[in-house]
Amino acid sequence: MKKLIALALSLVMVLAVSNAFALTVGFSQIGQESDWRTANTDDILAAVAAEGWDMVYDDAQQKQENQVKALRNFISQGVDYILFTGVVTTGWDEVLKEVNEAEIPLLLLDRIPDCIDDIEYVAAFGGDFVEEGRRMAYWTENYLQSIGRGEEEINIVMLEGTTGSDAATGRTNGILEVLPQYPHLKLVAQQTGNFTRAEGQAVMESFLKSQEKIDVLLAQNDDMALGAVDAIKAAGKVPGKDIIIVGCDSVKAAFDAIVAGDINATIECTPLYSAFVIPMIKELEAGAEINRTVVHPAEQAFDTDGGIVYNEAGDLSIKAADVIAERKY
Amino acid sequence: MKRRESIFKSKLIWAIIAEILILLVCLLMRPDFFKIEYQPQTHMWYGSLIDIINRSAEITIIAMGMTLVIATGGTDLSVGALVAVAGALALKLLRWDVTVYNTPGDYTVQPFILVLFVPMLVCLAMGMFNGVLIAKFKMQPIIATLVLMVAGRGIAQIATNGKQFTTLYAPFRFIGQGSLLALPMPIIISAVAVLGVSLFTRLTSYGMFIESVGINRNASRVSGIKSDTIILIAYALTGFLSGVAGLIYASRISSCDSNNAGLNYELDAILAVVIGGTNMSGGKFSLAGTVVGSIIIRTITTFVYYFGIVSESIMAFKALIIAVVIVLQSEPVRKWMSSRKNTGADRIGGGVHA
Repeated sequence: MKKLIALALSLVMVLAVSNAFALTVGFSQIGQESDWRTANTDDILAAVAAEGWDMVYDDAQQKQENQVKALRNFISQGVDYILFTGVVTTGWDEVLKEVNEAEIPLLLLDRIPDCIDDIEYVAAFGGDFVEEGRRMAYWTENYLQSIGRGEEEINIVMLEGTTGSDAATGRTNGILEVLPQYPHLKLVAQQTGNFTRAEGQAVMESFLKSQEKIDVLLAQNDDMALGAVDAIKAAGKVPGKDIIIVGCDSVKAAFDAIVAGDINATIECTPLYSAFVIPMIKELEAGAEINRTVVHPAEQAFDTDGGIVYNEAGDLSIKAADVIAERKY
Repeated sequence: MKRRESIFKSKLIWAIIAEILILLVCLLMRPDFFKIEYQPQTHMWYGSLIDIINRSAEITIIAMGMTLVIATGGTDLSVGALVAVAGALALKLLRWDVTVYNTPGDYTVQPFILVLFVPMLVCLAMGMFNGVLIAKFKMQPIIATLVLMVAGRGIAQIATNGKQFTTLYAPFRFIGQGSLLALPMPIIISAVAVLGVSLFTRLTSYGMFIESVGINRNASRVSGIKSDTIILIAYALTGFLSGVAGLIYASRISSCDSNNAGLNYELDAILAVVIGGTNMSGGKFSLAGTVVGSIIIRTITTFVYYFGIVSESIMAFKALIIAVVIVLQSEPVRKWMSSRKNTGADRIGGGVHA
């Protein structure tokens, strides 16, 4: 009996010790504000679990002070890696320097804090917002050519994201960079829709009244595009036909709308970072030295029929109906 | 003479003048701002002025309750969060089956009657919760309603598991996107709400009691008015109306949005009440003024969208106009104006009850 207890005890100890040697990853996430964010979180959590590593996950519920607290907890718990998405861009200097002092490798996800030049980090993973903007414009031009409207005067309206956010600024810059290359594309109105359906709808409603003729709507995220669809219908026009609609992000609801014919295309901004994050952690474990790398995940464009060139490299868009079944978010 | 003096001392008149001034600027910039035409495809009147009234519906409805709350000397910060709660519950009931991610569905899982009434009743209960904290536990209204302002969005997130459901169920979409008498439904619903609250305060003695409680709660109680009940009713009604506004918001976008639905509505609703001439310290109130206040707020927003004010300056622009409106209504300015109109007749009169 004693032997059995001793055996059991030693087993427990071995397990405990092996557990202590398992990698611990701390992940400070903003909160769950959208399907995109949910997919982003689920992807990382599932991938870390699949590796058998321990995960300390903190949902900050959109509050910076919660994130600062979480990061300090990670330091005191002595986690091996910190994954971090900041709810705002400013105010991280102090706590991120504490992370540096504790010599915990820091991986920035999705959002880049503005103190990035003053801190040490392994890598920053995020969408290339400027490129996404360029792609929205390229897709529009190539699609217009494919339907024989390549020479026609085209009036474009743009729904911008939250003023001052990285995504909105980047996408606006990308779009404004490409549009002048095609003189027949004319941007006639632009306004912020705050990345929300309700405001996208209200702004589109006003565009439809203040503009004589609208041919194309560039919405900097899918939610605003979806909101605008109803405004266009209320104006007695047919979305997707009378007005060509291009969204961004590629959330599931946009795929549904493309299949239904309401939206023409959506440029992807993938939330799935685990495919890049996990290999990088493994490399670091193997002793690789990685510093200040910027990683943009591979992204595509989806539309009604596919086959439209959406970037300078000449990649072709994918037919949304073909991939909708495997879309999770 | 006396009548003219009282007109220019009325805050309602100044609110209406402010609205006319803004519209006049619109008229000068783009006469077609006022174009209204019948849209045969959607069987609705269509134009920017319709948009203004249509999109002001949520704030108008909430502000009806807020006017009464402010008249009791309180305030309700939870209305925006309740808008999110109502939307989340409605979409949860519509899309009970969705566990993973959203796909639009043109059906409802739970009976439609539940989709309509559960959100409104839950919001009514939450309004009563506010009312009980304030009336029975004598908590400060700002603190008491802060509880649900913070917790409400959390409840909405939990109800939908942090997801945004989309619905194509026609009866539900009708609330925010349909039409009756060739007018958008939200206009009809807000008209009913305004009429309902007006009749409730005019035909019963409730309106008078509210003013009495707002001016002096203890004196009212001593003179036999059930102050606690009066206050409780005001908050419960505001909660209920927030629920109605939440259904309209969710129906407009055929979806729920726990983060953004009703965001900052509490501030807009309070602003509408204040622009309308109801004093924050309680007492006399003006429902008509609140309606004008709500329309002014929406006119500014529509103006910004229509004339393409650059997004960076929207906030500053709105603040500027609102500041002008409120200064126009301030006591010294109104006195000065009315004394100019009636030289030598600057008698001190009470605030006019419009």
